[in-house]
Amino acid sequence: MPRVNLQYYALLREQAGRRAETLDTTAETPAALYAELAARHGFRLPASQLKVAVNAAFADWERRLEDGDEVVFIPPVAGG
Amino acid sequence: MSPFEFSATTIDGSALAAPLANPGAGGFAAFEGRVRDRNEGRQVLALDYEAFEALALAEGARIVQDALDRHGATAARCVHRLGHLSVGDVAVWVGVSAPHRAEAFAACRAIIDAVKHGLPIWKKEHYADGDSGWVNCEHAAHAQRFDYSRQLALPEVGHQGQSRLEQARVLVIGAGGLGCAVLASLAGAGVGRLTIVDHDRVDASNLHRQPLYRIADVGRLKAEAAAERLAAYNPEIRVTAMPRRFDAALAGELVPDVDVVVDCTDNFAAKFLVNDAAMRARVPAVLASVYQYEGQLQVVRADRGGSCLRCQWPEPTRDGLVGNCVESGVLGPVPALLGQMQSMEVLKLLLGLPGQLEDELLLVDLLSQGVRRLAAPRNPGCAGHCVRIGAGPQAAGDVDVTLPLTAAAAAGYRIVDIREPMECEFEPMPVTGHESVPLGRLLDGALEVDGDRPCLLVCAHGVRSRAAAEFLRARGHANVWSLRGGLAGQAG
Repeated sequence: MPRVNLQYYALLREQAGRRAETLDTTAETPAALYAELAARHGFRLPASQLKVAVNAAFADWERRLEDGDEVVFIPPVAGG
Repeated sequence: MSPFEFSATTIDGSALAAPLANPGAGGFAAFEGRVRDRNEGRQVLALDYEAFEALALAEGARIVQDALDRHGATAARCVHRLGHLSVGDVAVWVGVSAPHRAEAFAACRAIIDAVKHGLPIWKKEHYADGDSGWVNCEHAAHAQRFDYSRQLALPEVGHQGQSRLEQARVLVIGAGGLGCAVLASLAGAGVGRLTIVDHDRVDASNLHRQPLYRIADVGRLKAEAAAERLAAYNPEIRVTAMPRRFDAALAGELVPDVDVVVDCTDNFAAKFLVNDAAMRARVPAVLASVYQYEGQLQVVRADRGGSCLRCQWPEPTRDGLVGNCVESGVLGPVPALLGQMQSMEVLKLLLGLPGQLEDELLLVDLLSQGVRRLAAPRNPGCAGHCVRIGAGPQAAGDVDVTLPLTAAAAAGYRIVDIREPMECEFEPMPVTGHESVPLGRLLDGALEVDGDRPCLLVCAHGVRSRAAAEFLRARGHANVWSLRGGLAGQAG
């Protein structure tokens, strides 16, 4: 069961009510992890609207999560 | 100086611009993005910016470097604000120096567009009515999902069929007139993975029959422009752009990994390549071609040992014997309709619908609105060919001659222009003393060849003339040649 570190930004931060958390998860991929978190925190953004970064690099939704991974789900951006 | 930075304090453009000065840079362009007092009809009082800084710094540096490389600019930087901003404050600043204004403007535009759409930076707007919201996120939270209900309602589709489409991988070769239609309808149907191979760029003359592209896309790689458009059209599918020439190596790499390959190319060499790769990997292929007001459609059931393109066209090199859209002209609905018919066959295959084309050739004449379905069985003579398909279309270099036309005339060549009368009128031959025998008449035997004097056939690009020379060689006329590159190759 990997232990992952999560950071939240923007809308997800507000909905989660925290900036970061460490979680033991049964999820093997970011896709499964987001589904778990959406249920836990009531995230309304569908995964199709998000990107995911693992260890500060954009990552595939189906990659395998490792113990100690830093995972960030990235909501639609609005720079500029 | 870092290429991309965040700032917690007011941005001062002139201070940021100073280190970009360079004696070789005759152009400097800067862009300032400022906080506006309105957004989507609501009065905005202030903004809060936040960012995933580690990722944004790395991606931001890559965006700036990419713009420098792509547009040939000299130096560039971008600074983005974080924290609380008021109306009128500068939120983002981009500066680019370059040898000329064009590179400076282009790189500056590329950087701000990529920063706005690609970096993990978010803004929360505070409105005059006391409300606030994260831009893009709040709308996306209620975003429309792509709704397949109208096709789900078909008893033959249903949820089971839709899930098959979501799992399906389809490779589309060519993103021209046929390809635009195929891609749009397969994306609409929810085919889960689409890969687009096309090495060409959008030309203004493509637009009338290729509605995936906007006029602003002229000059862009077709595969990339099409993938971008389709991703915006249906974000629920994955579209991969492969802006590479479709050759045997790429065919071997891509074809075995898909459920269906769709040939939307405009030349026989590519069609044979698709056919051969499909046969080898035993993947079904849906091929189509158009000529003026007509089209042909064929489904090669390589997965079931069905007949293939070579069963109908045993002679490998046929380019030039029939014209393409450039030479012969085409009306937009012709490739659009044939492309939609290809999509129909792809969906029939993926969903297991009845009426699939197999060992048949469909001939469509859109002037008479006639459709004929001809039996095109496996050619027993092709059996050996299909096993030896590694050979591919023959190289036909030996009929080609490379020399200026004036030199050919001086050397005693008999010069024959095989273009159509309208083409000859539009672009006259640069030499005199030539004959004019349009290709159709040549194929009917109108050109009498004298064995002693070398005969040089000329067309616009050297494709038709090569095919015609091979045609005459095959009939025993050894002293027939083709001008490599045609008249286009003579310029400059």
